[in-house]
Amino acid sequence: MANLSLKGVNKIYPNGFQAVKEVNLEIEDKEFMVFVGPSGCGKTTTLRMIAGLEEATSGQIHIGDRMVNDVSPKDRNIAMVFQNYALYPHMSVYDNMAFGLKLSKTPKAEIEERIQRAAKVLDITTLLDRKPKQLSGGQRQRVALGRAIVRKPQVFLMDEPLSNLDAKLRVQMRTELIKLHNDLETTFIYVTHDQTEAMTMGTRICVINNGEIQQVAEPRTIYKYPINVFVAGFIGAPQMNFFNGKIKETADVIIEGVTMPINTELVERVKKDNRYNQDIIVGIRPEDIYLSKDDQGLEVTVAVTELLGSDLNIYFKVGDKQYVMKTDSSITPEFGQKIKVKFDPQKVHLFDVENEKSLYYDDEETINVAVEA
Amino acid sequence: MKKETKDKVVFAAFLAPALFAFVMVVIIPFFMGLYYSMTDWTAVVGRQVNWVGLRNYQNMFNNVAFQYSFFRTFLFSFLSVISINLIALMFAFLVTREIRLRNLYRAGFFIPNLIGGLVLGYIWQFIFKEVVPAIGGRLGISLIENLLLLSDPNLTMFGLVMAFTWQYAGYIMMIYVAALLNVPQELLEASEIDGANFWQKFRNITVPMIAQAFTITSFLTLVNSFKQYDIIVALTAGGPTAIFRGQVVDSTELLAVHIYNVAFKYNRMAEGQARAIVFFLMLSVVSIGQVYFNKKKEIEM
Repeated sequence: MANLSLKGVNKIYPNGFQAVKEVNLEIEDKEFMVFVGPSGCGKTTTLRMIAGLEEATSGQIHIGDRMVNDVSPKDRNIAMVFQNYALYPHMSVYDNMAFGLKLSKTPKAEIEERIQRAAKVLDITTLLDRKPKQLSGGQRQRVALGRAIVRKPQVFLMDEPLSNLDAKLRVQMRTELIKLHNDLETTFIYVTHDQTEAMTMGTRICVINNGEIQQVAEPRTIYKYPINVFVAGFIGAPQMNFFNGKIKETADVIIEGVTMPINTELVERVKKDNRYNQDIIVGIRPEDIYLSKDDQGLEVTVAVTELLGSDLNIYFKVGDKQYVMKTDSSITPEFGQKIKVKFDPQKVHLFDVENEKSLYYDDEETINVAVEA
Repeated sequence: MKKETKDKVVFAAFLAPALFAFVMVVIIPFFMGLYYSMTDWTAVVGRQVNWVGLRNYQNMFNNVAFQYSFFRTFLFSFLSVISINLIALMFAFLVTREIRLRNLYRAGFFIPNLIGGLVLGYIWQFIFKEVVPAIGGRLGISLIENLLLLSDPNLTMFGLVMAFTWQYAGYIMMIYVAALLNVPQELLEASEIDGANFWQKFRNITVPMIAQAFTITSFLTLVNSFKQYDIIVALTAGGPTAIFRGQVVDSTELLAVHIYNVAFKYNRMAEGQARAIVFFLMLSVVSIGQVYFNKKKEIEM
C-alpha cells in the first residue's frame, strides 16, 4: 500500500523514438488509476517503467517514499498482470501462484494459506491442480490475478488484462476487478485502450496521447469537461461531435449559419479573452443534441439510424460531414429525412482553433467551472 | 476409376521412388550385412564364403581392443555431449542478448561447422603440437610448453573433445538460439516481477521452455559423438598407444575408427561387419532411450 509518483519521466528508445514525454503524475494510495489512450501512445511503456521492466531515460519514479529507478522489479514490491496472462505453462495453477512466494522463501504453511484464500476470492479453488492449457481464458485471467494477489504487493499493475476475453466475460471481470480493488485496498494501475473500461473502473483516469499526459481527473470530470479536443473525442461513445463555428458579438456561436446559444461560463470566458468574431471548434456530445420542437435549429439530413434498445443513435449529415446524436427510441426518422436539431447550451464545449484547448480551462489548465461531485 | 482407388495410385506413384531408393541402399544392404556378419567373408575375389554362425560376435566380445574402444567411445561421447551442449548454450545466450556485433558472433561461432573434419583435425594437430608449446614458451610457463596433448593417452581424449566441440558447438548453438528466441518474453518478465534472479529464471523458466531443443541437441550430439570418425583420423589417427588388460591398444581408436580398421586395414570384413551391427544396435538403444526420456520433459503450451 503506497502512493506512487512520476517526476519528469521520459523514455527514448535507442532508435530515437520518444515513447514517453515528461510525464508528471501523482498516484494516491489505494487509488484505481487507469491509463487510457490509443495504441502506441506510451501507456504500456509508462506501466513497464513503473514495473522496472523498462528503464526510464530520465526522470524519477517513486513508490512510497523510495526512489526506485535503480531498483530491480523483484525489489519494487509490485505485482503485474500481463495482457496474455504470462502463466508458466509447465506449472500447475498452484505452483504458478506459489512461484513468487517460494522464491522469497515464504514458509510453506503460509504459502498454502495465502493461495487458498486467494483461490477462494477468485473462485478457482477447484482448478489448483490444473495446468494453464487446461483452463479457459477467463480462468487463466483469474489465475493471473491470483498470482498477483498472493504476493500482497504495494502496487498492482495491469496491462490490458481483459482484452483477450470475450465481451460478456469482460463486463463480468470488470465488476470483479472493482470489487477486488475495494477488498484489497491497494493501489491499482490499469492500462487499457478501452474508454468504457477506463470510465467504469477508474477512480481517476489518465488520458495519454503521443507519450504525453493529456488530462488526469475523475471519470466524471473527464467526461463533462475534457481539457482538449483529443480527450473530448477519445472518451465517450459514440464520440463527441465537433463543428467549425464562429463566435458572434452577442457571445453566441454560429454553426452553418445557425445561431446557437452557449452557457454563462463560456460567455464569461469569451468576454475575458475578447474572442468575438473568432473561429472556434464547437464540441457537443451525441446525447446533448436534441430534436428541435419548433422551427428553429440546425437543419440536418438523416444518414443512418442505429437502434440500441432503449436508445437510438441517429447519424446525420451537414454538408458532407457526418455527426451523431442520441435520442430515446420512441422516434424513428427515415433515411434522407430532413430534421432540425438543437444543442443543450449547458453542455456545449468550445475549443480554441489553434491549440485545441477547452475554454472551460484557463491557461494554467485549472478548471473554471464548479465540478459537481 | 473410383476416387479412392485413384488416390491410392497417386500415393503409390509418389512413394515409389523414395521407397525404391530406401530399399536399395538401406534395407537390402542391412540384411546382406547381417548375413555377412555371420560368415568369414573377406571381400577377396574367388574365395569361398563360409557360414560361421555367431563366431564373429563371440570374437568381438572377447577382443580387448574392441572392449577398450567400446568404453572409450562412451567416455568420448559423454564428455562431448556435455562440453558441446554447455558451450553451445552459453554461445546461444550470448548471441541472443542485446549486444553489439551479435550477428558477427553468430556467424563466427557457426563457421567451424562448415570446415570438413579432416581439415579441422589437421588444424588442431598443428595447434596442439606447435601453437600451444610456442605460447607456453613465450609465456615462460613450462607446464604449457611441455604440454603434449596428443601424446598422452589420458589427455588425447580431451584434445579430441576440444576439437569436436569447436566444430559442432556453433551448429548446436543455432538450435538453442531458435529455442531461446521462442521463449515468451512475458514469462521471463513475469518471473522477474515474481522475484526470480538470473539463475532462478534460467532454471525455472528458460530450461523447461527449451526442453524441446534439448531433445534435438542431445540426440544430435550423442549420435554424432558416437559416430565420430574424420576428426580422429586427422588429429590422432587412433594413437597414442596405451595398455589395457595387458594388451597394447590405441587410446583414441573409437568404435567408428575401430570398425574401419578391422574391416579395411586388417581386411577382416565379416568381423568388422559384426561390430558395425552391434554398434548400430547400441546407438539405436541409446538414442531412442534418450529421446524417450527427454520427450517426457517437453511442455505443451
